[in-house]
Parts: sequence; structure tokens; C-alpha cells
Amino acid sequence: MRTAQLVKRNLSYYWRTNLAVMLGVATAVAVLAGALLVGDSVRASLRDLFLLRLGNTSHVVSAPEFFREQLAGDIQSHKQFASDGFQAVCPLIELEGNVSHGTSGRRAGGVRVYGVDERFWKFHGRDGKPAPQNREVFVSDSLARELESRSGDSLLIRIEKPSAIPVESLHGRKEDLGSTLRLTMGATLAADDLGEFSIQPQQTPVRAVFVSLRLLQKELGQEGKLNTILISESPNRGPGSGSSDEAVKKILKEAATLGDYGIELRALDKQQSISLERSSTLIDEPLMDTARGVARSLTMRAAPVLSYLANSIAAGGRSIPYSLVTAVDNQKYEELRRQDSTVANIPHYGVPNPIILNEWAARDLGVRRGDPVSLEYYVWQTDGRIETKTAQFNLSAVVPIAGPAADRDLVPDYPGISESASLADWDPPFPVDLKRIRKQDEDYWDQYRTTPKAFIPLRSGQELWESRFGKLTSIRLSSPTDSSLDQTLGKYRQALQAALGPASRGLNIVAVRRQGLEASRGATDFGEYFLYFSFFLVVSALLLSALFFKLGIEQRLREIGTLQAIGFSAAKIRGLFLAEGFVLAMTGSLFGLAAAVAYGYLILIGLRTWWVDAVGTTLLTLHVSTLSLLMGGAGGVLAAAICIVWTLRRLGRSSTRSLLMGTASDRSTKSHEITRSEGTRFVPLRVVSWIVYAFKLTTLRAAMVLAIPGILLLVAASFHLIGQTGGFFGGGAFLLVALLCYQSAWLGKPRRKSIQGVGWLPVSRLGFRNATARPGRSVLCIALIALSTFIIVAVDAFRRDSRDVSSDKKSGSGGFPLLAESLLPLVQDPNTATGREALNTGNDEGTASLANATFTRFRLRPGDDASCLNLYQPRNPRILAATEDFLKNNRFVFQKSVAGTKEEAENPWLLLNRELDEGVVPVIADANSMTYVLHLRIGDELVLNRNDGPVRLRLVAALVDSVFQSELIMAEKSFLRLFPSEQGYRFFLIDAPERDLAAVTATLEDRLADFGFDVVPTSERLAGFHRVENTYLSTFQMLGGLGLVLGTLGMAAVLLRNVFERRKELALLRAVGYNSSHFTLMVIAENALLLFLGLATGALCALLAIAPVFFERGGRLPNVSLGFLLLAVLISGLTASLVATWAALKSPLLPALRAE
Amino acid sequence: MLKVENVSKSYSAPRGTLEILSDISFSLSRGDAVSIMGPSGSGKSTLLYVLGALEPPTTGSVTLNGQNPFQLNPRQLAAFRNKEIGFVFQDHCLLPQCSVIENVLTPTLVTEVNQNHVERARALLEQVGLLERIDHRPAELSGGEKQRVALARALILKPQLLLCDEPTGNLDQKSADAVASLLVELQEQQETILVIVTHNAELASRFSRRFQLTDRHLKEA
Repeated sequence: MRTAQLVKRNLSYYWRTNLAVMLGVATAVAVLAGALLVGDSVRASLRDLFLLRLGNTSHVVSAPEFFREQLAGDIQSHKQFASDGFQAVCPLIELEGNVSHGTSGRRAGGVRVYGVDERFWKFHGRDGKPAPQNREVFVSDSLARELESRSGDSLLIRIEKPSAIPVESLHGRKEDLGSTLRLTMGATLAADDLGEFSIQPQQTPVRAVFVSLRLLQKELGQEGKLNTILISESPNRGPGSGSSDEAVKKILKEAATLGDYGIELRALDKQQSISLERSSTLIDEPLMDTARGVARSLTMRAAPVLSYLANSIAAGGRSIPYSLVTAVDNQKYEELRRQDSTVANIPHYGVPNPIILNEWAARDLGVRRGDPVSLEYYVWQTDGRIETKTAQFNLSAVVPIAGPAADRDLVPDYPGISESASLADWDPPFPVDLKRIRKQDEDYWDQYRTTPKAFIPLRSGQELWESRFGKLTSIRLSSPTDSSLDQTLGKYRQALQAALGPASRGLNIVAVRRQGLEASRGATDFGEYFLYFSFFLVVSALLLSALFFKLGIEQRLREIGTLQAIGFSAAKIRGLFLAEGFVLAMTGSLFGLAAAVAYGYLILIGLRTWWVDAVGTTLLTLHVSTLSLLMGGAGGVLAAAICIVWTLRRLGRSSTRSLLMGTASDRSTKSHEITRSEGTRFVPLRVVSWIVYAFKLTTLRAAMVLAIPGILLLVAASFHLIGQTGGFFGGGAFLLVALLCYQSAWLGKPRRKSIQGVGWLPVSRLGFRNATARPGRSVLCIALIALSTFIIVAVDAFRRDSRDVSSDKKSGSGGFPLLAESLLPLVQDPNTATGREALNTGNDEGTASLANATFTRFRLRPGDDASCLNLYQPRNPRILAATEDFLKNNRFVFQKSVAGTKEEAENPWLLLNRELDEGVVPVIADANSMTYVLHLRIGDELVLNRNDGPVRLRLVAALVDSVFQSELIMAEKSFLRLFPSEQGYRFFLIDAPERDLAAVTATLEDRLADFGFDVVPTSERLAGFHRVENTYLSTFQMLGGLGLVLGTLGMAAVLLRNVFERRKELALLRAVGYNSSHFTLMVIAENALLLFLGLATGALCALLAIAPVFFERGGRLPNVSLGFLLLAVLISGLTASLVATWAALKSPLLPALRAE
Repeated sequence: MLKVENVSKSYSAPRGTLEILSDISFSLSRGDAVSIMGPSGSGKSTLLYVLGALEPPTTGSVTLNGQNPFQLNPRQLAAFRNKEIGFVFQDHCLLPQCSVIENVLTPTLVTEVNQNHVERARALLEQVGLLERIDHRPAELSGGEKQRVALARALILKPQLLLCDEPTGNLDQKSADAVASLLVELQEQQETILVIVTHNAELASRFSRRFQLTDRHLKEA
């Protein structure tokens, strides 16, 4: 017979025990590999979902302002388009809007409104699919279900009307910012029919509507224009084609024109110069610098011009209403001044605040050189109000309306003004008192139109009128050469186009496919999370395997003694058992891998149904990865092998004699040198043995040694020196093991007090004493229960309470009961009378509920949701801008900050005003988002990729469980500097008395319906975040429950074994008069002790481990559910023991005595 | 030759040192067969385990053919036991999962002696009258038959020393007689040194030399 044959015989003969070992290993592998599969599946599902919705798109060109539709054609026809590996382009309009059902009134916000034609479906490989025609609209499946709409129903789509002129400038229109389209629903589009087309990754259903491109262009007043171009790569594009991002940037730069950037060059024949203007009427500083640089390179003069409308020019009690004033540079100013023959030879310096009036104005005011002149003008303030200001000047010259002073082209086109036939027809977006207009003013308008009546130095004008959108209205270019104006224009146009980059002019190129695939890796690594919480489950399963393996060894002690006696060395015997253990581990692992797929599948079903709140989508499907299976299998086998090796470590230490008698230990022969040295021969045990022998560790000392790192980890986590997740698990694990070591020492201690007396107490004590007979086995039982209890207690304590915290200013809601977002920006301040009037939320009967409501406004830059509601990794988070008033009010609670002063420590909001390194902007985020979604800490930086270069955002403080989990917050002044094109306020926190909340909500949603104003209670927003967290907890508690089951199964097995081993003892007790109830009491007492120790150990360690987090978060222990859980453990444990007792005692005991 | 010189054995117990054997000396030559008798708890099995190199003496020495097994390292000791010593226990200690012949061949799995052991196993089983049961499992054998298998196993590698601890203790009279006879017969054939521990006077009487272990001392009767 060979050794292999002996191993085979052993495996089949002891099949019951071996099966239990295999099942334990299979469970461990199933959980390990299953956790990895869940992570893979979530990632793969997110990727698949994103790609399904993206279609063939690889890149997107977009801009906040509309550009030529023909740009798409120019890109496609570019000579390098095909050779650089691109396939097609598709022009479309993409906007965000609200949709409401024309009949039922059902509303949906956050709807993507696409203006498309047949090119859209052709682009995505669905040739022949008809596009919406005329007033037809296609709706995505999910939106149709939400609105309960069918083909033929009427739908109202509300979108923001694009405006070249900034809304927050004086000449920007502030009312009627949106456009409503009444359309008829046509087809419903399924997801695989691009019904959920989206270039932003999101796991929730996409609400989308598709309207005719031509219709949308017409409705928006943007015929021949659009704001988005899709580009697809050729499927054959190989890696050798170079970077597609760089290629498309180059093509776009060459294809785009100045018109696409909103830049116009006008040839002014009369002035023999070129005027550079923008459709927004303001020229920003980067464009100014580039334009001047290009002019210099062509030896052209670039004269800056800033024109403004003054409400009045006044002097000496007289005033001229609504006059245009132009600020020019010194050279131009001097040129104008010298038109006054009386001052031609007089230098102008020394005249403070000089102003030049034309003859008409000077005559009308009756002023002479040196007289004071004042200008009154409007300024639009960033907080949403018009302010009237006055500036004082001194008349330095009076010029005829001729030559350079007769240039009406110095003023850009202002809608509502420039095209008016008369002053009385003016319709500007600010208050105008037409009663002030006199006949002579109308005569001036008739003759001179927009010719400025006054000129001031550029520096003065910019001090008065510059804004974040720009400080010039045009640049006048002239060439000293003899080239014709057309030639000069052509040369300048070419040079400027070459100097400007699309990105710097707002024309973004985003590699949506690549970025979306990166985001699909996920913000939350489900694999890692399931691995973390499955750790205890895996350990429980492995402990169970080790338990049964150990039981198997104990069953064969005599066999081991016999083998020793006939010459098997300890190493050889250990080798036999290792071989058996390895076969069991491998076989168990194979079964486990099959079970892992089932486990992963079940978990995903759970995530799609009971736990859908955690993921927000039902579209997760199982993806089986060979690598994950292999890793899980290898990990399980390795862990099982370590457990088996560890179980065998004592095998060589027992004397042959004791083994032959069927006992594992013979302490009286402990000094046998040969046995001890054999015990350390195995490599995996050598290190542990060295530590044990080097430090002469008893289990008691081991307990003390292990407690120290546990406590250190808890302290470190509570002071945020290390990550809380790692600190919590690490500290808890160490303390758990330390307590188990202590209990092992305690159970192994010889008992001094003898058991005596009569009744249930001494019988119970006998039961307790039985637990000390095999301390290792007892500790193993305790460990199984403790591990399961640990996870159940710890996880449940993180569950969020849904109590209302709205009124507390130092809470997650900041004391604001309501929160609102609007589709269209509100530029007026609803806290002021003027604003309320403009917004129709004034003090009429219908708005009585708003009388005591206050609004805290935030600017909003749309972006990726940075909260746990978004499974995708946010690459470009939403950003809110907080006003100075909000910062000073110091609401909400902070977890941590980089406060350096007392004021900052008391109010960390002030950190947003801190000056940091060049190019670094301070931001504040919610701690949950920071840790679990962005994976950043205080002091870390997030790089935001903007059109004109990256911006570093540094996290300076973390909020506790706030309503701001979806965004980052920065100071308003930083926001306006970084994102000048984001206008108005779209996010609001509303304070109102509790009794008025419902009325306030209804009134605001009614009066501001045109703005798409949506109000929700802050408690509901918080509850949404909590639902995700609580669902994660429920999911993970299931794993704890599974561990609990394993624990009680293990307990039952150990009990059964204990009872069988003591059959002779029990038979003897029976013979001297013990009955079944006595035996039951003894067994129950023994098991209750182990259960209690297990529960107490697990619960205590968990409570200690979560104490830091518990106090920080202000969490509460939901005692009822927790108590119920622990009661369930106790009941299941006692039930298991009762079953084991019944099973063991059902056969007669007395025959066992006959063997003696 | 088995030489035992001034062997004492004591154990540490929670309440002090427990002396089991005291200053025991004797020697046995090849072919010698001795019985050791004594009351229960007198240390007979302990002495056997010391002779069988399963436990070291506290003081004194044991040599077999000049080799002191306790001077060997664990691997050498195991090999020594495998080659030179055979054991028969009161409880046969057969492997329940192995057949009769497999149980007999168990020591050969780790032997350094490379030869065909199967034939010898079959021969031994024939001698003990179990050749027809070679494929049977221990559960299918009677107590006496199991003990005969244990005897064959002990002799498979032709040990110099055969130690028996109450080999007939669990058997009925008829089986005990049969096993005892076999023991003597095989011992004479193999010319092993046989040391048998028993409290069965009749069994002890079959051997020319008898020792009595009383009060920790061994005296030849």
C-alpha cells in the first residue's frame, strides 16, 4: 500500500467530517470569490449601461454659446478627419429642461432635451430611422412611464433660451429666460434605440426627449446654429493612430471660425479700420490680450473701446437723458481732445477726471471747458439688483460731431436699443423713463443714432463699468500700411483664428467615451466593500472548516498514536493530514467557485430588488470574471491551508502514549525536546512559533500584546490619523482576538473551587465546568459567535435615524427646512421687494405664505453628482457658490477642517476666503462624499479640467452628514472668477416657519414654474442619502446573518461531538441517578456560557470599535432592532444546543459503560 | 541485546513529582521472552513505553544492540522504532479504514528497508490464520482476530524487540489463548526479544522469565 492510497482511504472513510471541512472551505471561497464577482459585475454593468447610452460617440464638441451648424460639416470634411481615425459627426442641440404632461400636469425635471434630425440615428448606426418631424417629440421609455404619457399626448417642454448677452450684465434680458414648446408625443424610444442617449454616465434612468432640430433652432432663435457636435471614431482606429484627443483638437481648431467663437470682425470703410466685437457685447481679458498680440505681430494698432449707456449727462442743473459715452485709450482721447481747436496746444494732463463732450451735448448743457459734469448710470450688481451710480468729471474739451467724434460704430449693437427707430421705441432690459426724452433727444437719435455724446479716458471707464464678463466693448484695429481694408481684414482674421484655441473660447472637446469608461470603474468599489464585510464571514467559514478538521483529528487520535508507535515520524503524520487537508481544500474550493457564481447572482438580485436604494438602478447583471474566480479560489485555498497547518501545529506535541489513550495532550511530558522541535519544523508555523517562544507568550500575554494595537488603531481612527474604515475593522479585530486569547487562558486555568451542593445551580456549574474540558474547542465556538455578533452590532449602529433635524442650525440641514433648485437661473433676489416683484412672488394674497420666508442663494455649476447616489466616479463634480452672508452665518456642522485661526476654527466656512497657492481654490465638501465617493481627505486636491486649463480645488473642511453631499462648495468670488459664464442662482436653501412649509412649497413651485423651480424638504434630501447608507448596512447585515448561521451550525457540531465524547461520563451519571432534564440543563448551561461569552465579546468589541464614529456622527443605537438581532443569535444558539442534546441523548447511554 | 540500566521515570504533576519507576536494570538477549506483571497503576505500561522509546527515562539508559534510541534525533528515532521495535497494544489500534493486509503493511509505508513486504505480510497473515480475510476491514473481525492482525503488523519488519501491552486484556479466554500461543510461536520463530506486560498470570506463566513490578522496582521472579 502506498501513502497516497492511505490518504485516499482516510478521505473516504471519514467522509462526514471531511464533507463538513469541504463545505466550510466552499463557503469561504464562495463568499470571497462572490464578493469579487459582485464588484466586477457592478463595474461591468455600469460600463455596459454607459456604452449603451453613449452609442457611437467618442468625443463631444460643445459650447455654452451656440455656433454654426456647418462647423460639423467642416470637421467631417477636414482632410485629416478620416485619416486620423474618425468616422462621422452629428450636429445636435442638447439642453436641460423640464417636461410636463399637457393634460395631467405630471412633471419631470432634469430632462435632456435633444434637437436632432435623421443624422442622429445614422450616426449611431440606425440608418433609416425617422427623426421627429415638425411638432412631434420622441420620449424615452422611462420618461414616458413617469409621465404616464402615450403617443398623441400633449407635452410641454420648458428650456432655457440661449442669450449671447450675459443675463447678469446690464443689457442682459432677465425675464422670459425660458422657452416653452408645446409638442405632441410621437414614439417612445427604448434604451437600445438610443432613447436614453446620454453623454454623462449615470445609473438612474435617463429622462430624454427628442425634438426636431429645425424646430428647436427656430424656437430658440438660433437658426443655422447649435451647441453640440458628436464625433465617432472608426472601429478600425488602432493604437498607432496617436492620441484621438489631440487629433480632434487640431481638426476643430482648423475648422472653427471666429464666428464660432462669437467674435465678429467688421470692416469700417468710413473709418478705414476694423472693429472686433463679440456677440455678448463684451470682450474678456484673454481675448483682448490675444487680439492685441496678433495686432502687434501684424504691426497694427489695436485701440480698446468701452462704450456705455449713461442715464444722464448733467451739469449746472441741466441734464441730457440716455446718452452713450465711450471710454478710449490715451492716444484716442488725445486725438479727440485735439479736435477742440481751443485746446489743441494745451496738454491735458493735470485735469482730474477729464471728460470730452461733443458740441451738441455741451450746447445743450450750457457748459464750457473746466465745468463739472456728472454722469449717472446703472450698474447690475452680482447680488441681483440694479444700482444707480454717479461719477463726477471735469469738462476738458468740446469737440465737433465730425471725424473721430462722429463714429457711431464705437457702440456695439444692443438689442432693444440699437435697432429702434426712435428713443421712444427703446426696450432695454432695465428701467427707462421715456417721459424724460425731449424732442432734441429724438432729433439727435434721428441724425446721429449711437454716436457717443461724451468721451472719457479708458481707465476711468473701466473703473466704473468693467464686469466679470469683460472690460471692453470693442477693439478698433487699424493698419498704417497701404494694404486695402479687405486685405488687412483677411490677414488679421487668419492670424487671430490661428492664435485662438477652441477651448479658450468656450468650444469644449470632451473625450466622453474614455472619461465615461474611467468613471465606470465606480466611485464605490462594491467588490472591496463586500470583501471588507465578508471578511468576518470568510473567517467564520474558515474557522468552521478548521473546527471540523480539528474534530476529525481528535476522532483519530488513537490512529495517530498507532502510526507514531509503528515508526511514522511526526513530520510524516503531519504530511498525511496536510495531504488530506489540501485535497479537501482544493475540492471545497472547486465547489466554492461554482457557489460563488450563485452567491454573486443572488447578491445582484438583491441589489436589483430589496437593496435597490443602494444602487439606484435595476440594470445590474452578473459578469463572471475568470480572474476574480481564480483569486477567490486561490485565496480560499490559501486561507484554508493556513488554518489546517495551524490546526496541525500541536500534532507533534502530544506523546504517543496519550494519543493511544485517545487524548491529545499529556502535560506531564511537556519537556520532550524532540516533540517540540518537530513542532517548529513547518515553515508557516516557524515564524509564529519563534514569536511565541521568543517572547514566552502565554495566551494571557498574547491577549495583552494584541490589545495594544487594537486600542492604538481605535485612537488613531477617532483622531482621523488613519481611515475610519480601516481603523474600525482593524481595532475591532485586534480587540476581538485579544479577548478570545484571554478567554482561552481563563478557560484553561485550573479551577480551585469544587462543585458541591444540591439543585439546579451545582448541575449548571457542572455544565460550565464541562466547557473548560476542551478550552480550544470552546474558544473556537466563542470565536464563531463573536465574529458574527461583531458584524451585526457594528454595522447596525451605523444605521441612520430618520428623525427630523430641520430646525437645528447645527445639523445636516443647517436649520433650513426646504431646499430648491431651478432649471433657469434667478438673477433677481427673492429676498428684496424689487426681486419679489420681478419674480411675481411679491406680497399679494397668493403669496402670503412667503412673507416670512428667506432665501439663501447659491450659484450652481452643473456637474457630476458627488454623493453616494452616483455609482459612477465623479470626474467633474457639481459646484455651488456660497455668498458672503452664508459664510458668515456659520450654519451646519463640520467634522474637520484646516482651520489655522480662532475665527476659522469657530467658523470653518471662512476658510473659503483663504488665499492659497497660485491657482489653488479652497472648497468644502461633505465628509461622506469626500471619503466614500471622491476618496480624498482634508488637504487633498481635486483637479478640475476647464476649457482654458486645469484648476486645483483644495478641500479645506468637511461637513457632517449634510444636504451638500452632491456637490463641492466654494466662495462666490472664486466661482465668479473661475466660471464667469455661469449666471444667476439656481440652488436655494429656504427658511420658513414650520406651519407655512407646505404653502411655501406650493406657492414657489406655482409662481416660479417658468423657472422650473422644484422645492423639496431638506429632511427628504438627507433621507435619500441615508437610504443608500442604510441599504448598504442591510446588505452587509445579511452577511452577518450568514456568519451567524455558520456560527450556530459550528456550535451544534461541537456540542454533538462533546456529548458523544462524554457518553461514558453521561452513562455513569445516568447510572447514579441523573435524568434527561439534568443532562439538558448541563448541556444548556455549557452552551449558554459559550453563547454569552461569544455575544458579549462580539458586542463589546463592536461597541468599542464604533465609539469614535458613534459620537462624531451623533448616531444612535437603534436598541430595538439591535436587541432583536442579539436575541435571535441567543435563540438560534440555544435551539442548536437543544437539537444537539436531543440527537446525542436519543440513543441509550448505559451500554457505553460495558466497554469498561 | 536489550540493556536497561538504572532507569527511573517520574512525572511532574500539579502537586509535585510523581515517581513511577525507580532504578530498574536488566538485560535481555535475542530470543528472550519475558513477562512483566504488577498491580494496576504500578507502571508496567510506562516501563514498556520507555523500552519502546516512546518516552524517555528520567534517569538511566536503554540500549538495543548498543544503540541508545534517546540519543537519536526525532527522525532517526522514528526510523529506529519503525525498524527495530514492534508493538502490540491492548486495544489493537487497527486503522478502521484500511483492510487487514493494509493494516499489516502500514509500518512498511515509512520504512527505509526496500523490499517486497507484501509477501511477508501474506505469510504472517497465513501464520495467524487470517489469509482468507486479507481484504476485510477491522469492523468485520472479532476481537481476537483484530489482535492477531495487530501481531502480524508488529512483526512485518522483523523487529529486534517486540513489546506487548496487555495483548489479551480485551479478549475472551479462547481468543486470549489463541493470541498468546501465536505470540509465543512467532516470537520463537523470529527470535525477537519479547517483553509482554500483563496482569494475567496464566499468560505470564508461558514465559521462562518473569518480572514483578512492585513499588517502582522490578524484580525477577
